[in-house]
This record gives sequence, C-alpha cells and structure tokens, in this order.
Amino acid sequence: MALRIVIDALLGLGAFFALTGTLGILRMPDAFSRMQASTCVATLGMLGVAIGGVLYAACVMGSAGAAVKIGVIGLLVLVTNPVGSHAIAKGAYKAGIRPEKPMETDDLGRDSE
Amino acid sequence: MNMTTDLIIFAVLFAAFAALSLIRLVKGPTSADRMVAGDAADILVCCAMILFSLYSGRGIYLDIAVICALLGLVDTLLVGRFLEKGRRDR
Repeated sequence: MALRIVIDALLGLGAFFALTGTLGILRMPDAFSRMQASTCVATLGMLGVAIGGVLYAACVMGSAGAAVKIGVIGLLVLVTNPVGSHAIAKGAYKAGIRPEKPMETDDLGRDSE
Repeated sequence: MNMTTDLIIFAVLFAAFAALSLIRLVKGPTSADRMVAGDAADILVCCAMILFSLYSGRGIYLDIAVICALLGLVDTLLVGRFLEKGRRDR
C-alpha cells in the first residue's frame, strides 16, 4: 500500500510537470519561451514517470528487464533533450527568429559577427 | 480499485497532454515553434507508452518507446541543422 502511494505520487508529479509544460507551450509568447517550457516536460515529467515505472516494474511486476528498459529510456531522454533543444535554439536564432522583447545581451550575435 | 487502473488513468492523461501540444504544432507561426511542440508531443507519447506497457504487461511497447525517444532526438537535430543552414521557409 505504501508502495502504491509512492508510485502514484511520482506519476502525479510527472503529470503535473507535463501539464505545466504543455500549458507553457500553448500560452508562452515566443519560440524561445516555448522552448524553455518544453524542457519542463522532458526533465521532470519524464523523470517522474521513469522512476515510478521502474519502481512499479521492479517491485510489483517483478520483471527486471522492464525496469532496466524504463531506466534506459528515462536516462536517454534526460541526456539527449538538451542537445536537441540547443540545436533548435541555435537554428532558430540563425534563421532570424527573435524573442518578442528586444534582447538585453546578444552573445551569439556578437560572437558570430 | 486495482493498481493498474491508476496506470491507465495516467496514460490517458499523458496522451491528452500530447494531443494538447499538437495544437501548437498546427498553429505555430514559426517552424521552431512547431518543432518544439513536436518534440514535447514525442516525449509525452513516450511516457504514455511506458505506462500502457506496464498496464498491459507487454514488453513490446517499451521497445517502441525506446525507438520513439531515439527518433525524437534525430529529427530535432535534423530540423535544427536545416534551420541553421538552408533557409527556405520560416
């Protein structure tokens, strides 16, 4: 019973952060703010689901293979998402997309001159 | 109420969030917006697939979730490179 409460709390945490990130993607004003909100989905939402899933697979189902696979998925998303976000942010900057408000500092523009 | 019921409730919730983020994929003014929304939808579908695999007890959905996460990285990098080099359409 205590295990169920822990797993439900982890999954609920993941669902809360996934909801926050989705609302951020829908409501934020420009592309870079939306990118920042979508990082919330990939880190904390995925982490909650992965840890809860590992606990469920290892302790309730008793299958080590499923637990290892879920751990690998969580680690993979956690490691690779910053790489993809960085590529999208740099590509958006190079394609001429700018934030809604004028930028205070512009180090990438200064360095690529 | 069984414990697998919780899993399927959360799986449906994650699938609904993925469908919500597809709104931005359709509406988004720039292609960076579309790519960000597509990436988030990819990860949310991956989460829903993990939970559905635990609910149904079949391991094949976990394999599909691994492939989904890997291909998500590949297409994000691809679109990022495309935006950086060749600019045809914003």
